Amino acid sequence: MKEISLRVNGEERSAEIHEEMRLLDLLRDALHLTGTKEGCGEGECGACTVIMEGKTVNSCMVMAFQAEGKEIITIEGMATKDKLHPIQRAFLEKGAVQCGFCIPGMVLSAKVLLDENPIPTRDEIREGISGNLCRCTGYNKIVDAIETAAGYLNTGGDSNA
Amino acid sequence: MLKQVGKAEIRVDGPAKVTGRASYPQDLYMAGMLYGKTLRSSKPHAEITIDTTEAEGLKGVIKILTFKDVPHNHYGVLFKDHEVFCSKKVRSIGDPIAFVIATSEKIAHMAIEKIKIDYRELPGVFDAIEAMQSDAPKIHDKGNLIYHYKLRRGNVESAFDRAAAVAENTYRTSMVDHAFLQPEAGLAYLEGSQVVVCVATQYPHFDRQEISEALALPLDRIKVINPAVGGAFGGREDITLQIHLALAAILIGRPVKAVYSREESFAAHSKRHPMVMTYKTAADAEGKLIAMEASIVGDTGAYASWAINVIRKAGVHATGPYVIPNVKVDSYVVYTNNPFAGAMRGFGATQVPIAHEQQMDILAEKLRLDPIEFRLKNCFKPGDRTATGQLLHHSVPLVECIDKVSEWMNQNTGADGGAIE
Repeated sequence: MKEISLRVNGEERSAEIHEEMRLLDLLRDALHLTGTKEGCGEGECGACTVIMEGKTVNSCMVMAFQAEGKEIITIEGMATKDKLHPIQRAFLEKGAVQCGFCIPGMVLSAKVLLDENPIPTRDEIREGISGNLCRCTGYNKIVDAIETAAGYLNTGGDSNA
Repeated sequence: MLKQVGKAEIRVDGPAKVTGRASYPQDLYMAGMLYGKTLRSSKPHAEITIDTTEAEGLKGVIKILTFKDVPHNHYGVLFKDHEVFCSKKVRSIGDPIAFVIATSEKIAHMAIEKIKIDYRELPGVFDAIEAMQSDAPKIHDKGNLIYHYKLRRGNVESAFDRAAAVAENTYRTSMVDHAFLQPEAGLAYLEGSQVVVCVATQYPHFDRQEISEALALPLDRIKVINPAVGGAFGGREDITLQIHLALAAILIGRPVKAVYSREESFAAHSKRHPMVMTYKTAADAEGKLIAMEASIVGDTGAYASWAINVIRKAGVHATGPYVIPNVKVDSYVVYTNNPFAGAMRGFGATQVPIAHEQQMDILAEKLRLDPIEFRLKNCFKPGDRTATGQLLHHSVPLVECIDKVSEWMNQNTGADGGAIE
């Protein structure tokens, strides 16, 4: 057992970890951030995607100790108390959410994509979410949502005002 | 009334799902909860004896459930041919044998490794056609052929005699997994006199009935809660961990949770039926279909699940959307030692187009007809009757659909022309 500190969604957090713990277990079991999902446990499906130091990672493939001192963003850190992030809003408006299990990872992959490339082409969007599997939507509505979200973010993030 | 019709509404569960607040069964935690893990068969067909002594001695193991703990050790949506835990023999890889309840997932996993299963292997059968032979190994006590659907219309033999073109071929489809993104998980606990089972399912009312029957408890002692469901596609129409969890919570009196790995998920739930489809289809010189004979064999693996309904539906849809005056269809459900098959998107109607559409292309070529024209000439239109006798008096927009697809295919342009991304 070892105690580590890290920043999660802008807050200093500390947790007791053991050597076999993955970042995914740390987030879900220790910090109770269950929005991060486990779909395969082997880095294939992307349901456990979180943002670490500005890059997406599969939190099932990162050991908890590797997150020491790191800045992590999970799906719980995307919306403010009374307002959805524009990406989340676009996902709802475009009907990109069905069963929802891939959605936290999709939203976070979309965030990193749009942080790095504010006006992506549809092909670039597909590339950006290529690490995230969705079994319900067939992806087109997710691509639509990310395109729409790019528009929202480029016009100040709130076209709905 | 009809306030939402015609409008794009935000789905009610959407906000919880985009923010990560939606709870799937693996997201439920309770104080003092225990963890359950299933031991599954590693052999496709074998007699077994189970020794849990060493595993039970492991620190942190609370109890190991086997068939001895189940009042009525069976379940199944149409036939009660699954055992909650295998008692004397296993019929496919992945069959549940025991359920370890421990203070942590890690200990449960270690205990699984220490359960000794003596497998005395039996000859297996993995091909549906072989399984139909009289000398094939029997999966259950009765024979392997468990259902035969017959469809007869007109006289195929005389129609084949006067055909201008006949195509006769056999098509095979493979097993498919739903691979819904949320692996099976559940939490069961006691609440007053009730046992509560939280599980992602397509049929909470059926699950409740199955739990009630297996545990010999009245329905009002069982509550099934369906939290967020992470995809299903037919793969959550059968019992997986519901009875195990309910039994564990009842016998121990503490909350018990189980989460399947992706690998276990593949082993635990149904598959799409692989089918062997032998088709003989005939048309006259004008390009009108005149006869079709089909034999469809569905491999349901070790358990029937929804096979009867699935294979009946395959038989009903065997002609495809075409008017054929003389039809003879036989579809069969057969047990094998393969993973069991059940419901999956299309429910038997998905496999047959592989066969009937290939037949259409082959016949069009033989008749030197354009394959689209050949389809337009034969496809259902309002007023037609299907092979099963249904009069199609409502909307049948197939001609419009084929026309549109043909137009887009021939335009060969980008997204605006309708090309699929």
